[in-house]
Amino acid sequence: MTELVNILRLARSDFSYFFRTKWLMAVLLSLNLSDMLIVALVYKQLISSFNYFQFFVPAIIIMGLFVAALDTGRRIWLAIREGVTQYYLALPISTQGIVVAYLLAGGLAAMVYSASLMLIALVILPITAVWNALILLPFLFFLAMGLAGISATLAAFASTHGEFFFAYQQVVQILLLTMSTVYYPIEIVKNYLPPFLTSIVSANPLSLAAEAMRDAFLGNSVPPSSLLNILLASLPFTIVGAAAYFIALRTIQTKGKP
Amino acid sequence: MLDVLRLVWFDLKHELYPPVWIGLEWFSFSAQIFMYGALMSQLVNIPGIPNYQQFYAVGFVVMMTFDVGSHAGREFVEAAHEGRLPYLLSLPISRSKLFLSIALKGGLELALMLMVPFGIILAMIGNLSLVSMAAAAATLFFLGFGIAGLMLGLSFIAFKSSDMYSAITTGLSALLIRFSTVMYPLMFLARASPGYEVVARFSPLTYGADLAHLFLGFDPGMLLNPTIAVAVLTALAVSTLGVCTFLLQRLVEGVKSG
Repeated sequence: MTELVNILRLARSDFSYFFRTKWLMAVLLSLNLSDMLIVALVYKQLISSFNYFQFFVPAIIIMGLFVAALDTGRRIWLAIREGVTQYYLALPISTQGIVVAYLLAGGLAAMVYSASLMLIALVILPITAVWNALILLPFLFFLAMGLAGISATLAAFASTHGEFFFAYQQVVQILLLTMSTVYYPIEIVKNYLPPFLTSIVSANPLSLAAEAMRDAFLGNSVPPSSLLNILLASLPFTIVGAAAYFIALRTIQTKGKP
Repeated sequence: MLDVLRLVWFDLKHELYPPVWIGLEWFSFSAQIFMYGALMSQLVNIPGIPNYQQFYAVGFVVMMTFDVGSHAGREFVEAAHEGRLPYLLSLPISRSKLFLSIALKGGLELALMLMVPFGIILAMIGNLSLVSMAAAAATLFFLGFGIAGLMLGLSFIAFKSSDMYSAITTGLSALLIRFSTVMYPLMFLARASPGYEVVARFSPLTYGADLAHLFLGFDPGMLLNPTIAVAVLTALAVSTLGVCTFLLQRLVEGVKSG
């Protein structure tokens, strides 16, 4: 019971740190809102075959979730670099507890951030079935934990290579976003990429979440198989991220440094 | 002059050993052009621009120029906060030579980052004269200097709060890019909302992008008057660099390193 309370305390501390970082909030909000209110609207004028605004706005919520979840890695990296991790390891909480606390905080922060984007999106793109969008939130939480896991893995790898963390993060961000259906429909991807790469694009958790979000915004009920796919696609990332961060913490415990 | 070159090398060698950030820019350009640009090209339909991928590629290089220019400004602020600037100021070298070395380093960094992407664009478009290639490159350099000057001019905010500086510059960057013609011609911004066109005319990127597009052979009917664009870019580079040199000479002498 004490362990659980300590995990929740640590998670709360990391969660509030995310929202207190003013420059980060400015970056995320300016990027996501300008994408929603400028880029989506202008591309709607450039694309005549379908309503790109309706297509892209739900995906921006997923982009926000992704970028916010990736920030977990920056916080882990910063804690390792500045010795805060050593302080955490001295607290009456297990190493596994620290890992769980960070992933919980990362998942929750990203979900709350994307929920706020969803509220804005609901104002500019009204939907009849709000419930369909809200039902996605717990699944977005799992997805965010998976994405936080990817970020934790990068932070664990970068702990010995200084500021390369940001380079790793940017590569992952570019690859996951461009190799997804966040910006374009899968039919277009099929026309351009070979079948092997198209299946990677389809299985990308960002594609799965973006498609589910689009369904919700169109007023369609999200198929249970889509929700299950989001869970299944997120799980490996969460496990790998947790294991990588756990190993990094153990190394710090035994060697005193990453 | 040897002092200036030595200072340039002192700063530049961090970028080259290892050249992670340069490689990352090249990777980012390739992913954006050969995935995002190529796929969006199948969706976008602009009369007068048969290949959107090429239009986007030129715009993306303008965005890269903007990034490198703003990075120069941020780096100056970091140098002040980390104590490197007071060290440089204590060297037996005149202030004008110090500022010349900062400007030269920025120019060389821009050349290194853009070398490969610019080459790819020239190969993609083909059939360009030496004059138009040189004019496009000069446009990018002018824009880079103007943006670096703008960010340096804003650096006085950082001496009060570096967080506020990061928030303002990143927020401003997102808006300057979205409200510009790097990704779409001006007429489509006007179609999305007449107010967007008005705002876009205040973004220096609009003039940089339109001028670069013009020199690289895009339909002049879709672009701004080149005489006005040249005048705006020249005014931006001269005024921001002039003003910030004047201001910084006063600011940095008593700079706080905390």
